[in-house]
Amino acid sequence: MKLHPYTPFLLVLATGLLAFLLPAPAGPAALYAVVAAAAVVTGMTRTVLAAALLTLPLWAFLLLLHAILPGGEGLAAAIAQGSRLGAVATASLMLIRGFEPSRFLDAASARGASLSAAYLVVSTLEAAPRLRRQAAAILEAQRARGLRIGGSAAGRLRALVPLTLPLVLGTLAEVDDRAMALEVRGFGGGQARTPLDPPSVTARDRMLRWAALLAVMASAAWRFL
Amino acid sequence: MSPRLLVLIPSAVAINLAMGFLTNQLGLPLYLDTIGTVLTAALAGPVVGVVTGLVSQVVRSLYEGFIWLPFGFVQVAIALLAALAARGRGFRSTAASLGWGAFTGVGGGVVSALISYVVFRGVTATGVTAVTTLLAGAGLTRAQAVTAASVGTDLVDKMIVFALVGAALRALPMRVAARYPWAVRAVGR
Repeated sequence: MKLHPYTPFLLVLATGLLAFLLPAPAGPAALYAVVAAAAVVTGMTRTVLAAALLTLPLWAFLLLLHAILPGGEGLAAAIAQGSRLGAVATASLMLIRGFEPSRFLDAASARGASLSAAYLVVSTLEAAPRLRRQAAAILEAQRARGLRIGGSAAGRLRALVPLTLPLVLGTLAEVDDRAMALEVRGFGGGQARTPLDPPSVTARDRMLRWAALLAVMASAAWRFL
Repeated sequence: MSPRLLVLIPSAVAINLAMGFLTNQLGLPLYLDTIGTVLTAALAGPVVGVVTGLVSQVVRSLYEGFIWLPFGFVQVAIALLAALAARGRGFRSTAASLGWGAFTGVGGGVVSALISYVVFRGVTATGVTAVTTLLAGAGLTRAQAVTAASVGTDLVDKMIVFALVGAALRALPMRVAARYPWAVRAVGR
């Protein structure tokens, strides 16, 4: 049974808050261990490794800046900050691996979110890989016409112009066609969508949400009172 | 929000993301990931620019994890300064674009340095952090090193971003530019 699409977002938010509320360095380190363990238990071991790889250069610089070079905040601060970043990166990559735009939109529609906001989310997720392919096609086309992308920094900088302008101008030319397609389909008429099978909030969702809320409140109380 | 703006924003966000691919291919140590943000702010004003910047940061987070989400504030600052540049006909020539780009780079760099120092203890994207480490090794304090590295990299990056957006706006056919009153003013037509 899948979680409600909002639950992972709330858990990532709670992880981010706990990372900064828990006493350093033991708190963030323990949080990182808990998040990593949760990923392993839910069959996302590769996510733990991906997050570790993502934060590896940050760990290196944290140790260099704070533990090795003079004037830093010390090894404990480096470990605390590295653990915070590791915990948030692991939690957010877990969310991303399980993210389904259509379920998220159904959940948002069921809560009365506007069609414009829903379109913005879906359209952006669709446009990102399309524009990347377009950029690759422009790059190939310009190279075929003799554009050199290697050599000196000044030469590579100059190559930006024939690569960027076609991308930007081509995208702006498409905007009108797409906007017209939306208008002729009655977009902006103010009609709310009715999801066929909106995701439901299960007992497991409720338990996880309450646990996260209580953990954040307890940490905040311990930190500030 | 009009259908045109609803289409423009996702396209601009996608441009922001696609620029990372192009700079990688060219081997340039630049981000250029605010071209879409500056473009929409210059075409349709600050609100559309801010929305583009924030959506860009959220979508990037979907690919790279949410650790960089606080830098959404930098996108907001850049969108507001780009809209200010458009109001002041700041894209009318390459020189004007470079000048406004430098101004925005300093503004964005200061916001970026604040976030880097307060939230990330000075350790963020690899290139900037490498500069920070070099400066710290040369004897600067952490705060000085982070500020100098952030402002320095943002200054160059935003000057190039503004120059490219200015060139694109001036190359826009009048038929297209006329649909965006901010763009007409930005290039001083």
